[in-house]
Amino acid sequence: MIKLENISFDHCIKCTVCTIYCPVAQATHLFPGPKQSGPDAERLRIKNPELVDASLKYCTNCKRCEIACPSDVKIAEIIQNAKWNYVKVHWFRPRDFFMSRTDLVGLLATTFSGLTNFIINLKIVKVLMHLFLGIPYRMSFPSYQKGTFTKLYKKKFRKSQKAFEKKAVYFHGCYVNYNNHSLGSDLIKVMNALGYGVELAKEKCCGVPLIANGYIEKAKKNASYNIDSLGKTGESIIVSTSSSCSYALTHEYPSFLEMDNSSYIDRFDYITKFIYDEFTAGNIPPMGSVGIRAAYHSPCHLERMGGVIHTLGVLKMIPGLELVVLNSECCGIAGTYGFKNENYEISQGVGQNLFRIIEKAEPEFVITDCETCTMQIEMNTRYRVLHPVTLIAMALDKKG
Amino acid sequence: MVYDCVIIGGGLAGLTCGIKCAEEGLRTVVISGGMNSLHFSSGSIDLAGFTDNGSIIKKPFDYLKKTASGKKGHPYAKAGLPAIKKSLDFFISRLSEEGITLNNNGDYNHFHVTAPGAVKPTYLSQESVYSPAGKDIIKSGGKIAVLNFKGFRDYYPEQTAANLKKHPLFKNTEFIMGDISLPYYLHTEKNLHEFRSTDIARIFETERYLPRIADEIAKAAGDAGAVSLPAFIGISNYREIRRKLESMTGKFIYEIPTLPPSILGLRIDSALKNCFFSKGGEYIAGEKIVSASTNKGTVESIMTGNRSTSSEIKSRYFVLASGSFFSGGLQAGVSEIKEPIFNLKVQGDKKRSKWYSHDFFDRKSHPFLSFGVETDRNFNPCSEEGKTIKNLFCAGSVLSGYDPVKEGSGGGVAISTGYKCAERIIRELEK
Repeated sequence: MIKLENISFDHCIKCTVCTIYCPVAQATHLFPGPKQSGPDAERLRIKNPELVDASLKYCTNCKRCEIACPSDVKIAEIIQNAKWNYVKVHWFRPRDFFMSRTDLVGLLATTFSGLTNFIINLKIVKVLMHLFLGIPYRMSFPSYQKGTFTKLYKKKFRKSQKAFEKKAVYFHGCYVNYNNHSLGSDLIKVMNALGYGVELAKEKCCGVPLIANGYIEKAKKNASYNIDSLGKTGESIIVSTSSSCSYALTHEYPSFLEMDNSSYIDRFDYITKFIYDEFTAGNIPPMGSVGIRAAYHSPCHLERMGGVIHTLGVLKMIPGLELVVLNSECCGIAGTYGFKNENYEISQGVGQNLFRIIEKAEPEFVITDCETCTMQIEMNTRYRVLHPVTLIAMALDKKG
Repeated sequence: MVYDCVIIGGGLAGLTCGIKCAEEGLRTVVISGGMNSLHFSSGSIDLAGFTDNGSIIKKPFDYLKKTASGKKGHPYAKAGLPAIKKSLDFFISRLSEEGITLNNNGDYNHFHVTAPGAVKPTYLSQESVYSPAGKDIIKSGGKIAVLNFKGFRDYYPEQTAANLKKHPLFKNTEFIMGDISLPYYLHTEKNLHEFRSTDIARIFETERYLPRIADEIAKAAGDAGAVSLPAFIGISNYREIRRKLESMTGKFIYEIPTLPPSILGLRIDSALKNCFFSKGGEYIAGEKIVSASTNKGTVESIMTGNRSTSSEIKSRYFVLASGSFFSGGLQAGVSEIKEPIFNLKVQGDKKRSKWYSHDFFDRKSHPFLSFGVETDRNFNPCSEEGKTIKNLFCAGSVLSGYDPVKEGSGGGVAISTGYKCAERIIRELEK
């Protein structure tokens, strides 16, 4: 019953430090906090799976508990496991099903992008979604672009990339593929400036929304597809512009999904880590001053990966960027979590601190690495949010 | 792109060092693996509480003047009295910038009360623990109400009062016991007993509950002039909350540190971090340093160990403030004590049976508490081969040569050595 490699709950010394830093426990008393839901309750659940507690659903899997833990307990992982592995859900949940199939929905939506964007922003549709699907009226969906990034790449970039001797594979993720082509184009511009040609490998959704909505088997299928595809990319390095995709590909595949990703793991970098290493090694392309004052928000999953240092390192090298580093706060959206009626208030409650400090910083733009943080911040503040890669692309455009 | 100063460990020593470095314009990063032990501390800063034979020290600086010349291996002796004084002033002023007042009793130690009701000497405390007004109340011998939040399991006021009663200071004091509760707050699925100090702190931070809380306090405390509560009257704006409660109840409000998470310690932790950020410092949380590469007596870089995304961090100077056994700065094997990152020379007996005293509460304390990294006068450690590492400094409880528990010196050593290391790095960079 107990896997020997999976007994980190036993290292918990019951100090409750994780609960102090849990954004959900701060926003609501309905969630007893990571210590109690994680390592405490795990002992009971191992004895009797019926002791699984309904309050587990409040966990957003932001992983701030794991960052705070002085004893290296995989608290969020224990909770995620308990959420889905003890109780198997068999009935069809239309909202969760479609929300977690980002690639299926994305493909449909980009095919009819004009129509989709028109429909999902209609008030009446929003009311209906609120009533029948449980998607909060006040949330706005990211708009879909015409066609996919993959198509755009084939049409516009593929030829020019062949000229480069050094190659990098780009794991673009669903967000770039369906919602934000310009981030993908920026990535190619930056990689080219660093002397790398960009290739795409076949990919499926990394599995983050599937895991969050309890479709573990489907997540495993996607993971095995991605592992297979990325494993075949030979010696070339692999980068991703999404902090959450990167977290899944590097950390959640081997630990939570128990899949072997050793075929590519040593070649994989979240993009700012890759750029940071290139910059530090002296490979700095000429950049012009961007002349922007921006506030940087660090996404939870990037913090968990230890990647904030690289993003900050890279941002500090961009000429003419006046950077305000915001205190580390969760934005509250947690992927699909904030897009659900039952979580809406908690999600907004969690984000309040961040929205307040952003307003206080009075930036021109906000910078962050994560796509759903971007949506949440754009919905709740008056600022546009940029990805670090976009800023570098802007600086490259400004040169000479 | 190389850092000027990388500090391993985000506790009292690491953050003090970081604030000083960042303030001087050094590109500084603090790397912390999990939250620090301020979360388990009383929130008071001990400088020197007890002499070698266990008697209470009244004037810590006078005592230090003597020890500083007497005990060569002691971190205080290496830091020197002027630096200790300067570091404490620095610490007090930076915390006050962040809204935390730390009071001292001039050159004297003062007392603070622990949850089980022990009365302990300390040097710096928040105003809810030590202030001239509170001192007068205790001296006047009036009634004291020892209250708890109803159902809170991390604190037992009866025990506090019973033990306080045995202390000469409180011999003639009358104690009133009581509970405060908030009936209308409890329309929640949460069991009353599940509330921890942070949950209750959030109740106190909710403005609209304050009048009701004040009512409850006044009712439970009767005619007592002073009220003690477990420390949970707010985290970020506790001064304002305490001031309001005092004016609403007309009583002096005292705080007793609880079991972890300790709100008194948490306030200091968040003030230090905010201060560090405001000076432009970078902070990486939840990251373990697993190894270092050294060349010819200098550290070139350290490696982070976040599984697959591990990376190399380069810097001109490094500070090891990774704490003692609990924080993983020191590791105990079957028959050796190790410093795991740099494999530094460690002071500590080889024989396991000599690590500890048989009696848990032995007055002579446990030998392992004074084990730690051996350094020279400049806090530069030695590698296993006995070579001094010039660009690595050690601060805080990873150091050997002192016993924080027996001496009551943990806070003072952390602050003064952290500060001293920063000063040395700044001076070397100026050269």
